Amino acid sequence: MLAIYKKELKSYFTSMTGYVFIAFFLCIIGIYYVAYNLGGALSNFEYVLSSTSFLFVLLVPILTMRIMAEEKKQKTDQLLYTSPLPPVSIIIGKYLAVFTVFLIAIAIVSLYPIILLQFGNVPLKIAYGSILGFLLLGSAYIAMGLFISSLTESQLVSAVVSFVVILITVLMSGIVEMFPKDNKSAWAIFSVILILICLITYAVIHNVTLSLSLGIVGEAALTLIYFLRPTLFDGLVVRFFNWFSIIERYDNFLMGMLDLSAVIYYISIVFLFLFLTVQSIKKSRWN
Amino acid sequence: MIEVKNLVKKYGDYLAVDDLSFTLEKGRILGFLGPNGAGKSTTMNIITGYISATEGTAVVNGYDIYHQPEEAKKCIGYLPEIPPLYPDMTVREYLNFAADIKKVKRSDRETNITDVMNMTKISHVSERLIKHLSKGYKQRVGLAQAIIGYPELLILDEPTVGLDPMQIIEIRDLIRSLSKNHTIILSSHILSEVSAVCDEVMIINKGKLIVRDTPDNLSKHIGGSNGLHLQVKGEKEVIQKALSSIEGITQIEYEPNEQEGIIKLTLYSGEETDIRESVFFALSDVRCPILDMASTTMSLEDIFLELTQEDTNQIERVKEKTVQEDKVHEEAEVHEEAEAKEETEAKEETEAKEEAEAQEEAEAQEEVTVHRKVAIQERAEQKEEEKHAGDI
Repeated sequence: MLAIYKKELKSYFTSMTGYVFIAFFLCIIGIYYVAYNLGGALSNFEYVLSSTSFLFVLLVPILTMRIMAEEKKQKTDQLLYTSPLPPVSIIIGKYLAVFTVFLIAIAIVSLYPIILLQFGNVPLKIAYGSILGFLLLGSAYIAMGLFISSLTESQLVSAVVSFVVILITVLMSGIVEMFPKDNKSAWAIFSVILILICLITYAVIHNVTLSLSLGIVGEAALTLIYFLRPTLFDGLVVRFFNWFSIIERYDNFLMGMLDLSAVIYYISIVFLFLFLTVQSIKKSRWN
Repeated sequence: MIEVKNLVKKYGDYLAVDDLSFTLEKGRILGFLGPNGAGKSTTMNIITGYISATEGTAVVNGYDIYHQPEEAKKCIGYLPEIPPLYPDMTVREYLNFAADIKKVKRSDRETNITDVMNMTKISHVSERLIKHLSKGYKQRVGLAQAIIGYPELLILDEPTVGLDPMQIIEIRDLIRSLSKNHTIILSSHILSEVSAVCDEVMIINKGKLIVRDTPDNLSKHIGGSNGLHLQVKGEKEVIQKALSSIEGITQIEYEPNEQEGIIKLTLYSGEETDIRESVFFALSDVRCPILDMASTTMSLEDIFLELTQEDTNQIERVKEKTVQEDKVHEEAEVHEEAEAKEETEAKEETEAKEEAEAQEEAEAQEEVTVHRKVAIQERAEQKEEEKHAGDI
């Protein structure tokens, strides 16, 4: 694991990627910092972070696009997967390397509120709370980017798909407002989602009986709940899709709340996508 | 050392490896031989744990590659078809990384890397970036990566691809010297390489094991009869007459005349008989000087071509033969009945017919074999010419 970590970290700084990422990141945050805190004489650093959360849409794909895809393209994955390292430690090593690059950028940013101290009182707790939120949000996005990169051997495809996926999660809270809130359409939408899940299961495991029975059982359960307790479906669509709105929980940090459920949520996202990445590389070797 | 059991690999409906089983003892060099797409690389990828088999398993040093992958992989050094190199690393960095992920002890690492670089003769490029190296050097770095940590089993997929003739010889010597302490499986479609390096050869085609033997045995047994290539000065009729007196010649092939007065021919005899002396005396009696005499055993190349291209034909031929034999048996039964009826004339007739048929058959078969041999020779000649052209 340590070997992979060192190698990946080094490759970020022998190629341009690491420098470009950090420079771009600091540049954008710096502009907002100057405009709000220095120029606007505001003491709230969280305003800067709240306006710059769109950065992830652009920067995470740059950071993660090559991490798995390049190995596949160069066939160096053959070296890794035939070495005595288990796939889990390879993935964790890689994730930690990307995370470290991001952490370097965050470490520099966390000096900014201290600079403000010499001009007066600064709400440091909120500032560092939102930096923590920023860090967690970034780690979740990086795990998603890592997973997407493991699905393809083209860096370009990996970057574009990551970009779109992260963009959707950012826009999700806006999109959700347009969804219907009544229980009938909730039932219909969940039925469609269920059919999609069945199709995906079939595409992955090629087992008609299993995917069909999954569909029938799921649909029966949905319908049963719909007739017995229709109130359960009220506004469920919105709640459901809000769960995917990764950025939504970040707002709590900006308002000065240390939301433990959000911390757990982000950490579980990281673990979920690392797990999926391991499964995806294991599966690609089965085909 | 390594045991492969009933390996099957399917890609959708395509069968890449079809029920392949073999074992290999410690210290032996096994060569995989087969045309492109025969399943050599797939088999190697499965043994090294890079991809999974649809059925079957490989056991390395007592460790199953699926159930104890870490222990099994520790015993394996693998050079894939395309060397897995990081272009942005220097050679030393790369080998250091390889040693690191192969869990070579930190204290041994420096000496290990230096030794391996000396063995593969890449010490003088150790500080260069891999992307700036030529293909031959990249191949050697890949080989160095496989050797690092001195795993007991080395699996090399076409190790001499992209090397110049001098480097090929060096790598072959290296592989031979490595076999003292390592078990080696290597694949190739270059036959001379396999016969030069390997103790044993496995010919694979369409995912199936066709034959496994030592290179010498292969050319002896599958080659069948001994051939003797001659260039004789004289008249064709005279030579034919002189040769007809020699016992032990099973077949004579004449080549089309190129030079006036010089006859080129190939004599075939049984495996055990040596006809060289009698040929010499027979021809000297009729004053036809022998200009050139060379024995032709079938090269590995011929065997390879024969086995991989005609293995399906061969099976069909065997089937045909058995059908023919059955017919003969039936006829024999008919004879007995006829005898019982004391129709001696009719019997003689059928016998005569049968003989004629048998002769025809034999001739037809002979023709087929002659055609085949001529075709194989032509191919071999073409190859040689190509090689010469390449050398020039």
